[in-house]
Amino acid sequence: MNLSSLVRPSTLALLPPLHSTLPSRIDVTENAAAIECSNLNYSITTRLHRSVPILKECSLSVPSGQLWMLLGPNGCGKSTLLKILAGLLKPTNGTVFVKRPKSYVFQNPDHQVVMPTVEADVAFGLGKLNLPRDEVKTRVSKALDAVGMSKYLQRPVQTLSGGQKQRVAIAGALAEACKVLLLDELTTFLDESDQLGVIKAVKSSLGNSGEVTALWVTHRLEELEYADGACYMENGKIVMHGDGASIMDFIKTQQSSYTNQINS
Amino acid sequence: MNCTHRTTPTVTFSLSSSHPNPKTLFRLFRTQIPAKNRQNPRLYLSVKKISFVIRASLHDSSNKNNNKVGDWVSRLPTGAFAADNVFRLISTATASPIYQFIASPSTFLHSVDPRIKLVWLLVLVVLPARSHIVMRVGLVLYTTLLSIWILPKRVWMDQLGRVFLLSGILFIMLGLGSDGVPSLVQSRTPPPAISGLPNLPVSLGGYSYSIMKLGPLQFTRKGLSVASTAACLTFTLFQSASLCLATTTPEQLAFALRWFMLPLTYIGVPVAEIVLTLLLSLRFINLVFDEVRNVALGIVSRRINWKQLTMLESIDIFASYIRQIFKNIFSHAEQISQAMIVRGFRGDSNTHKIYSLSDSSVGIADFVSLLCLVTIVGAALLSDRFLV
Repeated sequence: MNLSSLVRPSTLALLPPLHSTLPSRIDVTENAAAIECSNLNYSITTRLHRSVPILKECSLSVPSGQLWMLLGPNGCGKSTLLKILAGLLKPTNGTVFVKRPKSYVFQNPDHQVVMPTVEADVAFGLGKLNLPRDEVKTRVSKALDAVGMSKYLQRPVQTLSGGQKQRVAIAGALAEACKVLLLDELTTFLDESDQLGVIKAVKSSLGNSGEVTALWVTHRLEELEYADGACYMENGKIVMHGDGASIMDFIKTQQSSYTNQINS
Repeated sequence: MNCTHRTTPTVTFSLSSSHPNPKTLFRLFRTQIPAKNRQNPRLYLSVKKISFVIRASLHDSSNKNNNKVGDWVSRLPTGAFAADNVFRLISTATASPIYQFIASPSTFLHSVDPRIKLVWLLVLVVLPARSHIVMRVGLVLYTTLLSIWILPKRVWMDQLGRVFLLSGILFIMLGLGSDGVPSLVQSRTPPPAISGLPNLPVSLGGYSYSIMKLGPLQFTRKGLSVASTAACLTFTLFQSASLCLATTTPEQLAFALRWFMLPLTYIGVPVAEIVLTLLLSLRFINLVFDEVRNVALGIVSRRINWKQLTMLESIDIFASYIRQIFKNIFSHAEQISQAMIVRGFRGDSNTHKIYSLSDSSVGIADFVSLLCLVTIVGAALLSDRFLV
């Protein structure tokens, strides 16, 4: 579901003030934050030397070992925030902490998959670690197994469907055994079955290790049921964070108020 | 279209200022002939001529069965239709125009070491150019049989058909063209009658330089040699490359190439960079073709009325098409470079290891392949010595 069609910037005035509800499944005392940022600002300068703010005072904390989702309408700054967390962009000011090693998976798998064959691509991220060949082989095999692509070891990447490419991209991130996964709208190009397969692959990788934390940018409300927590962004600000159910209620309230506004 | 002709008595008048076209025909109505001329039979006979009036019409309702043949005018590529057809053709083209690896079914050629395959490729390029015609034809047969054995049926049928067609066209053109047309430049050697030397004796063994004549063209032994070399070389080049690419992953090929190039590192050749660039190119080439196809599809789906556009407007659309392709490709390149950075690549190909996980242990297939290679090279050398 595309939230941008339901929640318009004009509804911002109707939003309640920034507040937070603690997720029921999170024990804050046991889990230190794997991803944390506070008072994060990011702005770009136009050709006319005018500063345009993209992110405004964003604060976020994702406990270790959990899957959190980041929602919001198009252009609200979700991907920008994720790129800052991945280290691809430098914030204008504010503090950022992300556990290492971290991995970032792009929205478009064609941007993520850099090698011509599946196994070589999954192993690409391991090139920096100088591991023995057998270790690499085991990791690649396990990662592909986790995303249900173990039969596609030697397949040329261009022969795969969008969903399969996305799984290969996730396998590449999993093979690196990262502590933090930053996932940018993985399911945008996928159908329902592939969407479910990708979510389950990420969840199982989190469940197996217990130490992996994932922050997932999405537009799809139905994916919230798999999340341990979620944040809602609008106009470059994080306007709410809490568990999946409360974020779902919040968005539905927004939708109904917007619908009432149209009908009145 | 229907063309009819009929015999009609007409008269042709001499050219006058009122009828500038000398081919203008007027039907002859005897009643319109002046009476005084009628009285003169000689004059009457002199003006009476038989001419053909040919009429052509595009639509002919009486001949509906021949519509497919008769509609050829509409198939002529006019400017508007040509532009539309070009974009339609591009949008339906394959995203993988080069041969690609076929993982399944796994054949013995899949298990042959990629380094041996590269040596095979080199041999199959050199041998057709340097060996006897029998050997060349033998290599073509060998490559054909190997393709039929290794590749899936629909793949080899498609590939062999195209490559045979290309080689056949080359054979005919070069066979008839290389020595077929007599030289325009006169030979500077004086003929035997002037020099006093006897003519060259006719071969007792039935040797003839000219093999076949086709009207003004002739198929000579030189033509046969040139045509067979070019056609066989083209065939073995395309088909052996196809076989190699179909049974070897790009990574295996890159690593085989690296193995052969490793000694060059001692003279400063950046082998690791070359191999990584090759691998990225092999990945990127499909993205490029995808972009070319997708942007063309976008233009086709807009249903542009090309007939209403002027030539300059059509050119403008083509220019924006090219611009969009480049824009998208550069965007892809930027994103891929970001992905490489995120995945730990720091710009040094020597420290970032690229893994090829396929087993590369020497097996029976490698020995058999090497044995065949040595046999073929030996046969080529012997054929040069013993076959004339």
